[in-house]
Amino acid sequence: MAFRRGQKVEVYKKSDDEGWKSYMDEFIGCHGIITDPDSTINDPDALVEVSLLDKGTHRLPQDCIRLLNAGKE
Amino acid sequence: MPEPTCPVTVTINQLDQTIKSGDLKDPQNRRRAEEILELMRDIAWGSASSEHIPAMRTLAEEMLKERKAKACTDTAKMVSEVLAGHPECINSHIESHNCPTGDCVNLAPAPCQMACPAGIDIPTYVTLIGHGKDAEAIDVIRKDNPFPWVCGLVCTRPCEFMCVRGRIDKPVSIKFLKAFAAERAMSEGRYKNPEKKPNTNRKVAIIGAGPGGMSAAYYLTLQGHTVRVIEALPVPGGMIMVGIPRYRLPREVIDREVAMLEELGVEFLYNTRFGKDVTMAQLKKEGFEAFLFAVGAHTSYKLRIPGESDYPQVIDAIDFLRKVALGDRHMPGKKVIIIGGGNVAIDAARTSLRLGCGEVTIAYRRARSEMPADEEEVEQAEEEGIKLSFLTIPVEVVGKDGRLTALKCLRAKLVEREGSARKSPVPVMGSDHFMEADAVICAIGQEVDHQCLAELTDLKWTRRNTIDVNMASMATNIEGVFALGDAVTGPATIIEAIGGGKKAADAVDRYLNGIPQRNMPPVPVRRDKVNWLEVPASTKMVLKRPDMELLNLDRRRTMFQQVELGYSENQVREEARRCLRCDICRRCGDCVKVCRDQMKIDALQMGYLDFDHPVKTDFRLTEVKCIACGACAENCANNAMQIIDRDKERILSLCGTILNRQKLVYCEKCGAIIGPAKYLDYIKKRFDKAGQVTADHAVCDACARKKIAPFDTKSVPLKR
Repeated sequence: MAFRRGQKVEVYKKSDDEGWKSYMDEFIGCHGIITDPDSTINDPDALVEVSLLDKGTHRLPQDCIRLLNAGKE
Repeated sequence: MPEPTCPVTVTINQLDQTIKSGDLKDPQNRRRAEEILELMRDIAWGSASSEHIPAMRTLAEEMLKERKAKACTDTAKMVSEVLAGHPECINSHIESHNCPTGDCVNLAPAPCQMACPAGIDIPTYVTLIGHGKDAEAIDVIRKDNPFPWVCGLVCTRPCEFMCVRGRIDKPVSIKFLKAFAAERAMSEGRYKNPEKKPNTNRKVAIIGAGPGGMSAAYYLTLQGHTVRVIEALPVPGGMIMVGIPRYRLPREVIDREVAMLEELGVEFLYNTRFGKDVTMAQLKKEGFEAFLFAVGAHTSYKLRIPGESDYPQVIDAIDFLRKVALGDRHMPGKKVIIIGGGNVAIDAARTSLRLGCGEVTIAYRRARSEMPADEEEVEQAEEEGIKLSFLTIPVEVVGKDGRLTALKCLRAKLVEREGSARKSPVPVMGSDHFMEADAVICAIGQEVDHQCLAELTDLKWTRRNTIDVNMASMATNIEGVFALGDAVTGPATIIEAIGGGKKAADAVDRYLNGIPQRNMPPVPVRRDKVNWLEVPASTKMVLKRPDMELLNLDRRRTMFQQVELGYSENQVREEARRCLRCDICRRCGDCVKVCRDQMKIDALQMGYLDFDHPVKTDFRLTEVKCIACGACAENCANNAMQIIDRDKERILSLCGTILNRQKLVYCEKCGAIIGPAKYLDYIKKRFDKAGQVTADHAVCDACARKKIAPFDTKSVPLKR
């Protein structure tokens, strides 16, 4: 599992994954919190649920998000 | 900074630009454009009425009629198109003071509401609960979620992760407040269905009676459509009934909330398999026009290790939980190993224990910190006596004479992989060992069962083996066919399924009425704006999130009785008072800046305003430095910070939290209020060099002027 519940993340780039929809382009640069990671199979390819500040909760591909304050985690 | 997407903000920007450019040469039309701009600004600030839209429409029509210059007609067309194209969004600004996109900053929903996949208006219902209005709170919740009681017990609560109060101490216990309100409203017989629209005589079939399917059924029925829910199981609820054990979610809770749907007119057809007992062709013949697939993800992944298929004592967790939920209460074995680290693994383990299994162990290939299961669930499982074996990789199921005897495992170590931030478990060679067992339950994930949808040969699937839909409209590639829930997202959360159900119901309603579909998912709508709860700063800081009382351990190890016993009424009302009302305070920090940088007082210690770097917050410290000048309130765009004179005191409050109250000083001459002593001292110090006018006397400006200028300018004219 790449991400855990409660971790602060940033959407830092667009993903080429089919799970990335065009309306998600406006999420780039947004910060948020992981609310439902890939819960069982620890698949880096799974979509994870992220609550983005002012943008709502969405399922995003993992390759477009990165941890904030990674050093402190 | 991202471009605004709110049609109101976009229109304001465009109108402003056009007016400033001077392209509108004709004075009459320029005035009309300015009027439209003013009306749009009212909408953006939440001060518009229902008359604003027709007024703008009329002004735009007048501009169009005259056909004077291209700039005029372009402007009028732009306004007309916005009004016609975004009625819901504009009405949301006017009726519920909510900007769904958050661009109109003082109408943006609170972070908790934005975080909720169903978009529930959390600040409103939490405040209503604080006021003791539980049934009203349930009415607000059910506008976005027809299952407040279920969610009050088992929601994964993304709202609490975004709760701003969590930046100060702990998030507001939103989930349990909801459960309390639902239970209280139900017990008092005040849990009611809203009125549904007149019958449209349009029929919708929903396949799957899980939380998503039933939510869609609820909202479509409210729209006046005839809804039939087709369910393969003999009971409603889907995963919430057969996946979540009764000690977490009693069956009565599901039954009572499903009964509300039945009362509304939703028809349920149980023990009916789509594609086998009923086909799409049959349903179409019956007059069904739209189909909504909410079939869930009920097929377990296999371990793919030797021996897995050789012993009937290797079972999958979803099957096991389903059988237990449907009444089969036989223990799987005396020594049980559950493989997996998610909530399903924990549920299977705790269920095994309650069925009488003597030794229950969860084998997980990573470390505790990596465990995806809810932390509280893991703690409760350990309390009950479930063992956790971390860094354990199963490699073979071992048995004798057709009976399982052990699980062969390897120890794992976590190593960092190049290009990946996460550590991966790698088997330690030579660490093989046997874990004695007579049953193994596999809980490593689920996927969607294709079989039940075999009839839909053209249906497009994603590479993740989920139904491919347009996430904004939940429409599949087949006309009139929509899908939602785990079948679309893969195994996800209940609240996500409920949000998907609401979204799909809206899309089906649009489809039936020939209204164009959305191009992005809808955003939450504020349902009301209730008065805040007045709380002294000290109380706001001292109140702590209450601990949940649990059933005693003996019962937890032997019965399926509900483990979490809920909050007392007093705890609930107090907990609601911890809410910061982020639907009103937009956390811009202007109050802090003006107090610190302009007034040089620095009385507002509110570090929670910063999402990324929250620092210490203490509302009680305001009283120490604050001079009650009111500069913060004056600069608060949302009226969240207020300063009022009441009962001989000047009171400063933020969304009801009383930050400071100071005795007022009255003019010795005329009795007018001249402010609190601290404020007067501040003024005195600042103007010290200007000379003493009133000495130590408390007099108002008017009386002070009279003292230094005793002449009547009418009788003694000033010399020029």
